[in-house]
Amino acid sequence: MARSLAVKAPSQARRASPSPSPQPHGSGAKSKKAAKRKVDYTSEGVEDNDVFLLPVSDYQVMILVTIAAAAVRLFRIYQPTSVVFDEVHFGGFASKYIKGRFFMDVHPPLAKLMITLFGWLAGFNGDFDFKEIGKDYLEPGVPYVAMRLFPAICGILLAPTMFLTLKAAGCRTSSAALGAGLIIFENGLLTQARLILLDSPLMIGTAFTALAFTSFSNQQELGPSKAFQPSWWFWLLMTGLGLGITLSIKWVGLFTIAWVGCLTLVQLWVLLGDYQNVSVRLFAKHFMARTFSLIVIPMAFYMAMFGIHFLCLVNPGEGDGFMSSEFQSTLNSKAMQDVPADVLMGSRVTIRHVNTQGGYLHSHPLMYPTGSKQQQITLYPHKDDNNMWLLENQTQPLDIHGQPINGTNAWYNLPELPYINDGAILRLYHLNTFRRLHSHDVRPPVTEADWQNEVSAYGYEGFDGDANDFFRVEIVKKQSKSGIARERLRTIDTKFRLVHVMTGCVLFSHKVKLPDWASEQQEVTCARGGTLPNSVWYVEQNEHPSLGETAEKVNYANPGFFGKFWELQKVMWKTNAGLVESHAWDSRPEAWPILRRGINFWGKNHTQIYLIGNPLVWWSASAAVVIYAIFKGIAVLRWQRSCGDYASPTFKRFDYEIGTSVLGWALHYFPFYLMQRQLFLHHYFPALYFAIMAFCQVFDFVTARVPGIGLKEHPIINRAGATIFLALSVAVFWLFAPLAYGNPWTKAECNRVKLFSTWDWDCNTFLDSYDAYSSLPISVAAVPTPEQSQAPHIPPVQEEAGQQAQVPLGGAQPEEPEQPGISGAPLPAGHQVLSREERIEYRDQHGNLLNEEQVEALKGKVEFKTRYETRTRLVDADGNEIPPPEGGWPGEEVVAPPHPDVQGAHGHVSVRYSS
Amino acid sequence: MASVVEKPVVASGVDAGDAARRRNVGAPQPAGAQPVEADDEKKQLKKEPSFLDVLDQWEWVIAPILFTVLAFFTRFYKIGLSPIVTWDEAHFGKFGSHYLKREFYFDVHPPAGKLLVGLSGYLAGYNGSFEFKSGETYPEEINYTFMRQFNAFWGAVCVPMAYWTAKELNLKRPTVWLVTLMVLCENSYTTISRFILLDSMLLFGTVATTLCWAKFHGQRRRSFEPEWFFWLFMTGLSIGFVTSVKLVGLFVTALVGLYTIEDLWRKFGDTKMPATELAAHFVARVIGLIILPLLVYLLSFAIHFAVLTNSGPGDAQMSSLFQANLRGTEVGRDSPLEVAIGSRVTIKNMGYGGGLLHSHVQTYPEGSGQQQVTCYHHKDANNDWFFYPSRRDADYNAEEPPRLIGNGDTIRLIHAQTGRNLHSHEISAPITKSDKEVSSYGNLTVGDEKDHWKIEVISDVASWDRSKIRTLTTAFRLKHEVLGCYLRAGNVNLPQWGFKQIEVTCTKDNKPRDSYTHWNIEAHTNEKLPPGDPGKYKSPFLRDFIHLNVAMMTSNNALVPDPDKQDDLASQWWQWPILNVGLRMCSWDDKITKYFLLGNPLVYWGSTAGLGVFAILVAWYTIRWQRGYKELSQHDVDQIHYAGIYPVIGWFLHYLPFVIMARVTYVHHYYPALYFAILTFGFLTDWFLSNRQKVVQYSAYAILDAVVIGLYIYFIPICWGMVGSNKQYSYMKWFDSWRMSDA
Repeated sequence: MARSLAVKAPSQARRASPSPSPQPHGSGAKSKKAAKRKVDYTSEGVEDNDVFLLPVSDYQVMILVTIAAAAVRLFRIYQPTSVVFDEVHFGGFASKYIKGRFFMDVHPPLAKLMITLFGWLAGFNGDFDFKEIGKDYLEPGVPYVAMRLFPAICGILLAPTMFLTLKAAGCRTSSAALGAGLIIFENGLLTQARLILLDSPLMIGTAFTALAFTSFSNQQELGPSKAFQPSWWFWLLMTGLGLGITLSIKWVGLFTIAWVGCLTLVQLWVLLGDYQNVSVRLFAKHFMARTFSLIVIPMAFYMAMFGIHFLCLVNPGEGDGFMSSEFQSTLNSKAMQDVPADVLMGSRVTIRHVNTQGGYLHSHPLMYPTGSKQQQITLYPHKDDNNMWLLENQTQPLDIHGQPINGTNAWYNLPELPYINDGAILRLYHLNTFRRLHSHDVRPPVTEADWQNEVSAYGYEGFDGDANDFFRVEIVKKQSKSGIARERLRTIDTKFRLVHVMTGCVLFSHKVKLPDWASEQQEVTCARGGTLPNSVWYVEQNEHPSLGETAEKVNYANPGFFGKFWELQKVMWKTNAGLVESHAWDSRPEAWPILRRGINFWGKNHTQIYLIGNPLVWWSASAAVVIYAIFKGIAVLRWQRSCGDYASPTFKRFDYEIGTSVLGWALHYFPFYLMQRQLFLHHYFPALYFAIMAFCQVFDFVTARVPGIGLKEHPIINRAGATIFLALSVAVFWLFAPLAYGNPWTKAECNRVKLFSTWDWDCNTFLDSYDAYSSLPISVAAVPTPEQSQAPHIPPVQEEAGQQAQVPLGGAQPEEPEQPGISGAPLPAGHQVLSREERIEYRDQHGNLLNEEQVEALKGKVEFKTRYETRTRLVDADGNEIPPPEGGWPGEEVVAPPHPDVQGAHGHVSVRYSS
Repeated sequence: MASVVEKPVVASGVDAGDAARRRNVGAPQPAGAQPVEADDEKKQLKKEPSFLDVLDQWEWVIAPILFTVLAFFTRFYKIGLSPIVTWDEAHFGKFGSHYLKREFYFDVHPPAGKLLVGLSGYLAGYNGSFEFKSGETYPEEINYTFMRQFNAFWGAVCVPMAYWTAKELNLKRPTVWLVTLMVLCENSYTTISRFILLDSMLLFGTVATTLCWAKFHGQRRRSFEPEWFFWLFMTGLSIGFVTSVKLVGLFVTALVGLYTIEDLWRKFGDTKMPATELAAHFVARVIGLIILPLLVYLLSFAIHFAVLTNSGPGDAQMSSLFQANLRGTEVGRDSPLEVAIGSRVTIKNMGYGGGLLHSHVQTYPEGSGQQQVTCYHHKDANNDWFFYPSRRDADYNAEEPPRLIGNGDTIRLIHAQTGRNLHSHEISAPITKSDKEVSSYGNLTVGDEKDHWKIEVISDVASWDRSKIRTLTTAFRLKHEVLGCYLRAGNVNLPQWGFKQIEVTCTKDNKPRDSYTHWNIEAHTNEKLPPGDPGKYKSPFLRDFIHLNVAMMTSNNALVPDPDKQDDLASQWWQWPILNVGLRMCSWDDKITKYFLLGNPLVYWGSTAGLGVFAILVAWYTIRWQRGYKELSQHDVDQIHYAGIYPVIGWFLHYLPFVIMARVTYVHHYYPALYFAILTFGFLTDWFLSNRQKVVQYSAYAILDAVVIGLYIYFIPICWGMVGSNKQYSYMKWFDSWRMSDA
């Protein structure tokens, strides 16, 4: 105790004077004594860096930094006035939250909820669908600026957070200000923070956690006197809260948890080693405090967010297809009436596949174009009359005279209820088409494997059927509800296989879509040796005249919050892991620290938004990591050779403090190598934050803390260095800024800073001079495009094609950049895009065009499925229309890619005209 | 446990704690600590010299002999009972046949084990004519019993080696016996050793490497003496052998590697050791543990290539030049040597497992919608292309003298069957989105400069002269003139619309060493040029070696099962240590002698539980050490370190890769890991029992031994063959997943 007091006094004295503190290292004999006096777990050379007790001048700097950040982040935040990159998704999610329509996304809900809140407060009613990149915001009056404000505020706060974190880590004010400045003028962070994206909220979450944990560690390292004091508790709890926030924004938060977890284990290990001061009881107290703060709080927070998520999303939506039937039945209007429990011979049932969300066993009066050419059997996800099957016994029942009763109603008035027991042999009669489920030794249409047979519907009205219609019910006892549902067929509770009696194959379905001729419904086959999960079915709807109102009823079990929560986690995990398709702008982790390439976000009106970092900041940060790695390598070698470097507290602190930041970098970086899914540059930002922190700490140590190299004695070097480096960073930022803001630029300036060919933004997009921009008819600001004012019924055209469309009609554009084209389809000179039109065509299931009368006749009877199609009309100089070339017009592809994270995740829900 | 050292107690290798306290680990131990156990037992037995005394003195000879005899008995007994091709005998027997017929084949495993199978066939007088179809009865002329015995030999030898290993790890005599018994009476080891498979050799290699490592470790205080060198080189040899049998051998190599790194690290920390001595240690290990195994591995491939000189089913995996050197091949036969405008050629990708440039009338469903270009492994008229001049040059005229093509020339490639030009444009490729799509477009007259490809010669085995393209020997790249990208076929398969053929793209990355952008001419016809013999150039051995190895790795990873198909044979990693499943090795017909791959429950469950207990043990001592308790002597620490932690690391190294691996896995993948789990179990029994009362010791060992032997005998029918109806073996079916009986 005496020792800790002794340390405390000088340490406070030191804090008061900003001059470098004298180290006990100076005289050898003294330092040895001091080392011996160390009796508790207090770390050597640590000062109290509580950020609540900073001098006022530091707070002034912090406010200054915040103002600067706000100015830089908010500059022209209304620009661009159309949907950019992933705003398609995160804006779209806001619409769905407001409408309450269930959706599935691979990210947890917190940031999306906040974006929604901002939009909702600004009066957004959810009517805008954020359908595609480049879709205009102004015309529908979307409060997109308010929605962008949330990420922007997060981005602004990132700068003061960095400042405080560096202060808490013991850096000089100038070094901390440098860190904040580098955050402000980092082009990549800036770009992310100005758009409706999740990365900026994620960054502030990570940064806040880092601040809280750095502050906590500082208190912890000051020894027993600080333990369990208000400041210690406050920062520990804040760390937990920060972890909860980060994890609730993106799962990358797990890496932050790993970082805090690793360092907490080290701290606990040190505590454990102080066996003279820390009793087992005290250790248990430390342990419990951390368990509560760092595990219980984040978990509770995370689950609470999902609680809110479920409260908001009460209606069915496009995410339903991912979830189990139990889950879906909790959504409004998807809930099902109670159904009679017992399934009998003669029941009219719908049969559902358990493992995929493909839906119901379905048939419709269309034939397979291949194989047997008999009627198709598919899985169809929606309720429909064509899902109804009648369960018939192998033979017709006998009446009292011993004569068979014929007809499909034969089972309705039998003296005993004809239960379907395990092992019963059935025929499945499709009521609408009078055909029976049938299988034979013919390969299925898509999966042409030897061990799979085609399943068809076969027969005609009055046909008795043949032996290939027989299926045996085999109850899968392990998956069925215990009790009576394992003995005989019961609605929902019994899970069963249908074994084809003649060939021994089992009715099977898997996530394979049939081609257009079956409206992309899911394939059903009969498999010998298929996996069990894909061979299991259950009855969902069930009607039988013998079962009256009083019959026993069942329904889906309500999964409850935890059931829903857990199921959603699993689906998110699976979907996330399934995003393996390559993407035009993806990159692998090894390309990130060297800033090899960026992401094209948006391009329109000769301006472009391209995510690229500030190379100076980026490479300096990476260099700091490399420097530390080399330092550590040498230090370990020297340690093994007993060189005694660690006797110096400065050396030890350098190793530990920068090691902490580099560990944060490593834990936010290396796990990506293990991921097979598509990855993007923006996945590196959390790691970049830690690397910038490491850079500033290295700078601080070199210029202000390491004794003996002559810099420490001159505080001016620290300040001047920081100022110069910051100025350079601002200059580099300025060079690349048009790509971040979507500002006008010139070709020459663009090409000048495009140092590598892998930085693949397109300089040809820009005009030759800034003057050319002012003469453009469409101003970058919020002025409606000519088309919109002339012909409001034409929806805004998209992207690159828009570049052409928005050129005034008749006026030739001399500097038209050459479009990447498919040969055979060069745009003939002198042709003008006249218009793009959208009209509704109705087609039947065979693709035949229906005229208006036919449509009228069908209205109300059928569902309509909408497919969007943009048609371009082109006229040549004489005004003759030119037919579109095969493969579409050149350059029609969207400049910015579809959403990387969710693309391919949404199951294509196919709707067909049911007849 | 006479502990002389009163120094801070150390659990080296475990803790991550304070540096200073680890200092003493490398210090030499007092000599007295070592032979403690021998002393103990000698004292005991000096009192009454008797028959037992003699037995005791000669235990080191008698015990291994006895165990070996038992091992040979259990492994050889009734080995020829089942006259049908059982399980993977179908594969490895067939590979043996290929060696005997000297036909080139391709397989994912290195050749040493299969060479030995071939040798056994040769010794048995077999001529290689049998096809080894699964489930077929062996014909009269094959002495399959001998071939099986040859394999069983390797499995049987593991037992005495386990004895010596346990002894070398300072385990007490009863523990040594227990460990040996656990290896001897391990049903799965017995069964797997009795067939023509590689697993008995793999097991042999793993056990031998562990033994040599332990012996080498035992010599650590006698560096650079002959015996030290002997065991160092033996370790290297066995590493070489085991990796040449199956690549799983790399895991035991990693174990030895970790040990060596730690060992050198300590020597580096010993500031008293002169730098020259440290360097000598380093060099000795590089030679013994890296160069020597590598030579063994290379040698196995050299023999492989030397034996397989005829064309066979594996040709397509190799480079064109290699194929041309096989007897009986079509490749390169009568092809003109140099390529000219108008030549009809097939173009092979030189990447590992690369196919022939291919196109067919089907079009891309997305992107440009033009005709597909792919890479295809099989011979087909759609692989044929014509060299044509670029549109700037004079048109091809069949009458004129042939114009030869060389480095830097710009040409067009016209697909022979459809007459379209090889073409690329600014459209993303269908799968690899960052590359450009390659299609077939236009015809002789329709087209543009996007059909132009520039030839860049990379290398030529036959000549330094780059002004000509030579059949088979010239490796060249094709650069798209307009886009500046290179024609590439990585190992990416197209979806069903592309018939799962390999995607061909045009990549902007200019990487001259990327072999997937390298192409060579394989078949070549041009009537105006004289037929040559391009196959006279030999493909360099090292290039073939590397090519084959990369092809092995890539196709090993490609063994991904059909996710829809229920595979009763496959099992997952978590099922192995808990002995959740067995494996039926043949059909379950009543008329057939049936074999079921299942382990001895005590060995499996005991060793798995032992791993958990060991983790607790280490955690316990580490925490106690951090709390300042000094309860372990340096000798104890070393014992935990080398007899406990290293086997556990060995277990992890042999187990975790299968957890991560995406390929289909089977129960026998666990067998090498099991050996290390058994060693851990041995260490634990030794640790907990050695200081107990004699009564406790004797009864504990007696019970363990008896149960191991008892269960082995109880389950022996699954190893020696179950004859008759499987119903009569239902007594062994303790769980539903043990499917040795249908009852």
